[in-house]
Order: sequence, then C-alpha cells, then structure tokens
Amino acid sequence: MMFVLRMAVRETRASLRRLFFFFICIAVGVAAIVALRSVIQSVRGVFGTEAKSLIAADVLIATNRDWTPDARSTIDRRLADAGDTERTETIETPTMVRPADRSKAVAKMAELRAVQPRFPLYGSIDLQGQTYSPSLLANHGVLVRPELLTAIDVKVGDQVIIGAATFTIRGLIVREPGRGMGEFSLGPRAIIAYEDLASTGLLGFGSRARRAMLVKMPEERVEPLVKALREDFKDDFINTRSFRSTEDQVGRDFDRAENYLSLVGLIIVILGGIAVSSVTRVFILQKIRSIAVLKCLGARSGQIISVYILQVMTLGLAGSLLGIAMARGVLASIPLMLGASTSILAQAHYGVSWSAAAQGVAIGVLVSLLFSVVPLLQVRFIKPSLLLRDETVRRSRDWVGIAVIVVVSLALVGLTAWQAASLKVGIVVCTGFAGLAVILHLAGRALIALIAPMANSRSFPLRHAVLHLSRPGNQTRVILLAVGLGAFFIVGVRSLQASLLSEFSLQVAASAPDMFLLDVQKGQADGVRAFLNDPARGAGEYQLIPVLRARVVGVTGTETNLEGADEVRQKGVSIGREFTITYRDHLEPNERVIQGAFWDGPSAEAEVSVEKIIAERARLHVGDTMRFDVLGRTVAARITSIRDVEWRESRNGGFVFVFRPGALDQAPQTFVAPLKGPEGVTARARFQHDLVERFPNVSVIDFHEVLETVRDVMSKVTLAITVVGGLVLFSGGLILIGAVAMTKFQRVYEAAVFKTLGANTRTIARMLLFEYGVLGSLAGLIGSLGAIVLTWGVSRYALEIPWRVFAGEHIAGVVMTALLVAVIGVVSSFDVLKNKPLATLRAE
Amino acid sequence: MIELRDVSKTVMSGTEPLTILHPLSLQIPHGQFVAIVGPSGSGKSTLLGLIAGLDAPSSGSVLIDEVDITKLGEDDLAKLRGEKVGFVFQFFHLIPSLTAYENVAVPMEIAGVADARPRAEQLLGEVGLTGRAHHYPSQLSGGEQQRVALARALANNPKIVLADEPTGNLDTANGRHIMDLLRTIHAGRGTTLVLVTHDAELAAMADARLVLRDGRVVENTIAALPVAGTR
Repeated sequence: MMFVLRMAVRETRASLRRLFFFFICIAVGVAAIVALRSVIQSVRGVFGTEAKSLIAADVLIATNRDWTPDARSTIDRRLADAGDTERTETIETPTMVRPADRSKAVAKMAELRAVQPRFPLYGSIDLQGQTYSPSLLANHGVLVRPELLTAIDVKVGDQVIIGAATFTIRGLIVREPGRGMGEFSLGPRAIIAYEDLASTGLLGFGSRARRAMLVKMPEERVEPLVKALREDFKDDFINTRSFRSTEDQVGRDFDRAENYLSLVGLIIVILGGIAVSSVTRVFILQKIRSIAVLKCLGARSGQIISVYILQVMTLGLAGSLLGIAMARGVLASIPLMLGASTSILAQAHYGVSWSAAAQGVAIGVLVSLLFSVVPLLQVRFIKPSLLLRDETVRRSRDWVGIAVIVVVSLALVGLTAWQAASLKVGIVVCTGFAGLAVILHLAGRALIALIAPMANSRSFPLRHAVLHLSRPGNQTRVILLAVGLGAFFIVGVRSLQASLLSEFSLQVAASAPDMFLLDVQKGQADGVRAFLNDPARGAGEYQLIPVLRARVVGVTGTETNLEGADEVRQKGVSIGREFTITYRDHLEPNERVIQGAFWDGPSAEAEVSVEKIIAERARLHVGDTMRFDVLGRTVAARITSIRDVEWRESRNGGFVFVFRPGALDQAPQTFVAPLKGPEGVTARARFQHDLVERFPNVSVIDFHEVLETVRDVMSKVTLAITVVGGLVLFSGGLILIGAVAMTKFQRVYEAAVFKTLGANTRTIARMLLFEYGVLGSLAGLIGSLGAIVLTWGVSRYALEIPWRVFAGEHIAGVVMTALLVAVIGVVSSFDVLKNKPLATLRAE
Repeated sequence: MIELRDVSKTVMSGTEPLTILHPLSLQIPHGQFVAIVGPSGSGKSTLLGLIAGLDAPSSGSVLIDEVDITKLGEDDLAKLRGEKVGFVFQFFHLIPSLTAYENVAVPMEIAGVADARPRAEQLLGEVGLTGRAHHYPSQLSGGEQQRVALARALANNPKIVLADEPTGNLDTANGRHIMDLLRTIHAGRGTTLVLVTHDAELAAMADARLVLRDGRVVENTIAALPVAGTR
C-alpha cells in the first residue's frame, strides 16, 4: 500500500504539467455543477423562508368568475368553523393604462391588482424610497412598476387613466408578495384600492378578472380547511390551495430546474472525462517502459493500476476542488452583477452549499475514475520482457476489459440518473451523448478520410500537417469531439434563434393581423366596428369574433363517457380545463373538416365542431354528445364534425370548439378582434390610446410589442445556451492545449529531425498552423453540420416552423472555430519552434 | 541454484515461427559468476529473460531454488523477482520520473519494506552516488545511471543478479567501474551473477561461461563448476 501511495505521489508530481489541462476541464464542469446547484439552492432558500408570502396567505381561494352568494356563504361557514381567521380579498385583471395628459397618445397593457387594506397577510409590498401603507391607495391612488413609467411617459405624481377612472401615481413597486420571478405576465403591475375598482368599469361581463380570497389562520387547521373547500367546490370553478402546496410545487419546480441544469455541468465533466480517457491511453503508451521496469522489479499489475488510479483520482479531486473555488468566485460575483436589482434573485445570499460541493467533488472524482479505468487496464498486457526485446503479443478477447466497460457504462448512467434525479433521463442523456459522440467520431473519421488525399499535396507543410492528424497516439478525435460539440452548441442555438426570429418577423410583417382586441362587450361591438371602419384610424382588415368561456361537464359517446365536471377533470384527457369557445357559420382558411360535415346556417339545436388533436386525445367522435357549462348554463351539443386546424396560421381561428350559430347567440358573450393595425409606432400608439379612450375596458395586444418581448426573452435564452456552448468550447480549448502538451515530446523530436534535415522555423510554424487550422476547420464543420441537423429536427418536430439554413452563422462558425484552434495550437506549441535540435536529439 | 530443463523459445516472425533458443539444460550452482557469451541475435538476452521469469519458455522448465517458475502466474513471478532476482539492463531502464534515490527505493517499497531510505542511501553510497541521490535520470551521465540501476538491482539483497550487457552502452572507464562493482558484489555477498556479454575480456573474468550461437550452445563450462558450499 505504501508503495502505491508513494508511487502515486511521485507520478502525479512528474506528470502534473502534462495532465493539468485535462483536470481543468473537470474543474470547469464541476464549477458549473456546483455554481448552478448553489444558486438554485440559495434562491430556493429565499422562497423557503418566505413560503407564505408566495401566496401572501395561508390559504388562497380563487376563481375566474364572480363570487356567487352560495360560494360566499360556504366559505364564510368553513372559515367560521376553522376558528380564528383573518381574511382579505383581491381582484386581478389585465387592462390598459394611459396617461391622463391627452397630449401623450400612448396606452400600455398592465396587470391591475385591486387590494383591500389588510393586504398582504404575509410579506410586504416594498416600494422605492417609501414604506407601503394602504393610505397611499386612498382616493384613487395607484402604485406601479417602474417600467410602466417609461412605457407611457409619466412620473410619480402624474395621473393615469385605468378603465373609466383616473388615478394618481403614488409610488413605485419594488416587490410584492404573491408574484414570483419569471412569471409570464401581459404587462407591468399596477396596484389600486379594492373599493376603487368598481369605478374603472372593468368588472363588466366577460372580464378576465381573477378574484381571490386570502386567509390567515393557525397552521394546523390549514389542511383540513383546504380539503373541505376542495370538496365543497369540486364542481365549481373555484380553486383552493395552501401555502404548503404552493411551497411543494415551487420545491418541485426548483428540484427539476436544479437537476436539469446540473446536467449541463455534467456534460462538461463527461467531456473532461473523455479527454481523461484519451490522455490516459497516451499516458500509458508513454509509460510502457517504466511499467515494464516496475514489473521487472516485482510490482504486480494490480499494484501498478492502483498507482495510476490513485493518481487520476488525486488529480480528479484537485480538479474538483479547483472547480469549487471557481464556483465560489462566480457566486461571489453575482451580487455585483445584480447591482441594485429589485428581483427576488437579489435577496438570496449566494454561497457554495455543502451538498453542491460534495456532489461536485463526487462527480469530478468518479468521472475521472470511470473514464481512466478502461485505458489503465492496458497495464495488464505490458510484459517485462519488452525490456529485452520488442515483441507484439497476440491477445485473445479481453473479457475482463469488456466487463469493466459494461460496469463503467452502467456507472455513468447511474451518475447521470443521480444528477437528473431520474433513471429515464439518465438513460436518455447517456444514450444521447453516446450517440452524439459516435456520430461526431464517425464524422471525424469520415472527414479525416476525406482530407487524406491532401497528404499527397505538393506543399510540404500541408502534407505533414495532414499526416500528423492520424499519427499514432494522436488526439485528433477527442479534440474534434470536444471542440466540435462546443461549436455545435453555439452554432445550433444561434441558428435556431435566427430561425425563430425570422419566422416570427415574417408572421408579423405579412398582411396578417398584428393587433388583437380583447374584452369588447356586446354593446360595444357596433361602436368598435365603426371605429375600425373609420379610415382615419388606419386599421386594416379585422374580424369581430364572439367568445364565451366554457367548461366540459360531460360526454356521452361511443368511446368516452364522462359524468360531471369532476370526472371530466380527472379522466377527460385534455378537456378538463376551461376553453374559450366561439360560434360561426364558416370555416377559416386555416381549418379543414376531416370528419363529418360543417353546418351552413344557424340552428336552434346545439352542434359543435372539435379540433382534431383534442378529439383524438379525448377519443371524441362525430355523433357523440358533449355537455358544456357556459357561465352556469349547461349546453348539450352534438359533435357534427372534426376539424384539422393549422395552428401556425391561427390568429383568426384558433378555437378547439366551434359551435353552430343559433344555440349560443343570446348567451352572455364578449368579442375579440384580430386586426391589421396602422403602420408606424406613433400611429399604433395613437390608435391604441384613442380606442381605449372610447372603450376603456377594451384591451389591446400589439404583436409588434410581443415580438420585442420574444426577441428579448430569446436573446436571454440564447445567451444562456451560448454560455454553455462557450464553456464546452473552452473545455475543448483546454483539451487541445493538453493534447499539445501531451504529445509535445514527440513533436519536439520531430521538429528537431526536420530542422536537422533543413526545415526552418517558418516551415515548422506553417506545418503547425496548417495542422491546427485543418483540425479546427474539421471541428467547426462537424459542429456546423450537427447544428444543421439540430435546426432541422427542432424546426420540424418541436417548433413546427419551416426549416431555414442561415449560411452566415454556419460559415462564421467554421471560420471562428478554425481560427480559435489554430491560434491555441500554434501558441501552445511555441517551444516546439524554439528548441535547438542538437540538445533534443542527444536527449533521445 | 538455477536449473533449466530442456528450455526452448520460439516466437512468431510475421506468420512464420522462429526458434531463438533451441532446447537447452543447465544448472548454475549458488554463488557462481557465469558469463553468457555470443554474437548479437544468438539468444543470450532471451535466456537471461527466461531465467528471470520475464518471459515464458515455449517448452521445458526453469527452476529457481527448486521452484518451477514456469508454473507461476504473473503476480507470483513478480513477487519472486522482487525477492530473489536483481536485474541490470544495457539501457539502464531507470524510471525517468523518479530521482536516483526513488529508483533505488522502489523495489523495497514494492516488497513492503517499511523504511527504504537508509538502505537506499547506503546502496547509493556503495556505488559512489551519495551526492546525486536527488537527481533525475536525465540529469545523470550514462555511467551514473548504470550505477543507480546496479544499486536498484541490489535493493532487496537478491540471491541472483542478472546483468544484460551492463557495460554495452558505456565508455571504457565507466564500463570498467561497473564491472568492478559487479565483481565486488559477487565476491562480497556471495551473489550468483549471470552476465550476458559479447566482450571476451569481461567473459574471461567469470567462473564459467556458456557460449551461444544462433540459439544453440556451442560451449559450456558451467557443468564443471563445483556445487554450492563446496567451493
């Protein structure tokens, strides 16, 4: 044992410089894992300590409809039974906000929240430079998020119009309980007093207001109350949850985020592992004589393998510890980066968590071990007799080796499954990675075969550069894999971004509708029509579509039979939610009947046409009868057709359920209107402002603004993935530097021989430049080809948009990768150029 | 006692078998100094490798102290070498990543000696390298490297020292120095010394000699040696 320990220390000392870069790769991966896990754990900690302020209550009872007297009395009774409780109500609704100053012709959608004085029961509303008090909202005061000020060009103290009422801005919201981070929102938040909401006129029929009752009560009575209320309201559109179930949900979301994100780090570590495997192979080749000597001196194969395993694990441990240090650095810089940000992220205390650090170390060491074991088994075949005579030993099939490969593969799947907290994900990721590695490997081989004829080139440096790529012990494939993978990530995600943006821009730029009016009341329909028909407004084509909210409460059919809302919610695949429905007498251009027949006129008898995918999932057929709850009234409708809807073109007709005119005409309804808005930013702003001034409850969604948001979100996502790709590419660079260091002894010797034979430094420099240039071009080409396949697959199957190839991205990818690899390769080979030939040849 | 019974060695040369050592039997009594002589390719080093258990014979058996080493597995062979055999190579074969001291200490560490330092230092002193203990092989001259290799061969106080052309890669003065050391060791410790050489002058120093040509014995004076204890 002492021998193994001592030799491991000596070997580590001797090979530290050569193996250093490979373990930096491990360090980068471990740093990614530790930093990501720690960040998420830190942020989660903030949520954990403020679990109740997530929903600003112990229990939250919410509905999208008016509270019925029955519902109120049930809640009153249950709360009375629960004993000592405190309650407050809020209403949230999206609406337009515009300056009271008529010279400013702008309007912006905001998410309005009306609160009672007791709000919030937990947590606090944090304001910029002042403390929240309900008095700020008194007499039509409003608190808004800072971004609303810039959007509609107002400041604190100015007046704004919300619906039909005028409010004075009294403060700026930094943070409010019950609003998480990264939640999708239609606009910035505005808070007003509960009693002022009525004056806005926004609670008319069909409004999308969400009413909530927040309850504070002793913790031990929370769950019984939630259970009782859920039972009471199982057939109603009332949702009850406790802070605990919210906390659990958030916890699960965090778990998922933590596990998936750490896979990114694991991929980098595995890349480092592949490099470790490759370098161990070369290392053993270089150590053959030393190993034979040790065997000659009495060392057993097992002892020698133990020496190198210990060495690899020591370096893996060192790499992991370095990774933790790097992660600490990154975490320490987060508060500096967030600066004065008001996001919830700024509240967390960032530091490396023990569990993340332990996982990082375990992964770093394990991956180093797993990837080095197989090449280390070669030690068994090194015979001490080679010190006397070079002899090729014919080997029979190495069953031990095969068994070890199987065990290592299983261990890697286990490791990935552990990180992703899912065996399925572990298997998928490992299989995917292995598949990708095999493809990149084969592509590498094919490309090397393709450039093989260049080995007959007239150019001496080019000829030798190509020959070097397939020299014994070369690191070509591992570099192609690592650098190619990095290039693949970066080019792939950039191409996808370009593809999505151009798709979205095309849709917006075409003559298709680019504005959407919501909440047009029945009585406003004619007025809105007149407004839109007025040529001075600049609006193009439009449609006013009647919409109703409905929920499926039963199905009687050939395959599916469901009774009651509860059963539909539990067993009705895809039909358990609330739907927006319409009625009309025609098909839209993006629709096609694939089964049954579409009606051609009104009928008093209810008929419904169902969208294909939902029909397939819920096993609905022509002839089945569906029962809908349309605002409390049950409508039984026969399915008379199934429609195929082209969702990409769905801005005029994206409805799952379309009814035959007649049965619903008199039901309470509102209208939505897709339309082609005026050209130009100012005209669009004025259009929205004027429309909202005339019809204060109407909301306008401008797709041009949405495009900006999409662009913004996508550039953030792209940046994140580019950082990951950058890390992978960085690891590829390190592997390249390491590979150069590893094979340097060979290069120095060859350079000495070339110099002796008359080659000057410039020729050798050109050889290196060509070699790494070709290698980089191949890696770039592999990444780029992979990216083309990726964009094709994602465009076709995931995004369902036409596939486009952005030649510029791909060419830039190849050129940049070639340049990067050439520069790294030549710079790290500098001493190959510098060495004097005589000293080198003597040393050999 | 080293005993070879009908030992031969055949290797594959491409697809053809090539016999590099024809069947041969011999006994080397304990404490003797034997030279194996012959031109290049005559099978000298192969024979030495077979005696050390570095290589397995194609037929026959090799006995060291009455143990048939051809029946031992790789690990047992390694153990036997560590305990009983010291080896000196023509090309030194020091481990380049270890210092002179560490190279000498390695066999003792493999054998599980708790503190190898005093003996390693003593051995380096005996070969005149006290001041060079912490130098790496690349920092030593050829003669110095071979002296380190000699000290390493003696580390576990082996009964047998096998030397494969130990002066073949050295200048005359260094070669003589190494031979003097080998003879001192043989005389002083009673170690069996088997020396492979094609230098007739060196061979003449031995108690007996075995001359090989094309894998066959052409002269053998070993049989005439007295057995151990009667010398």
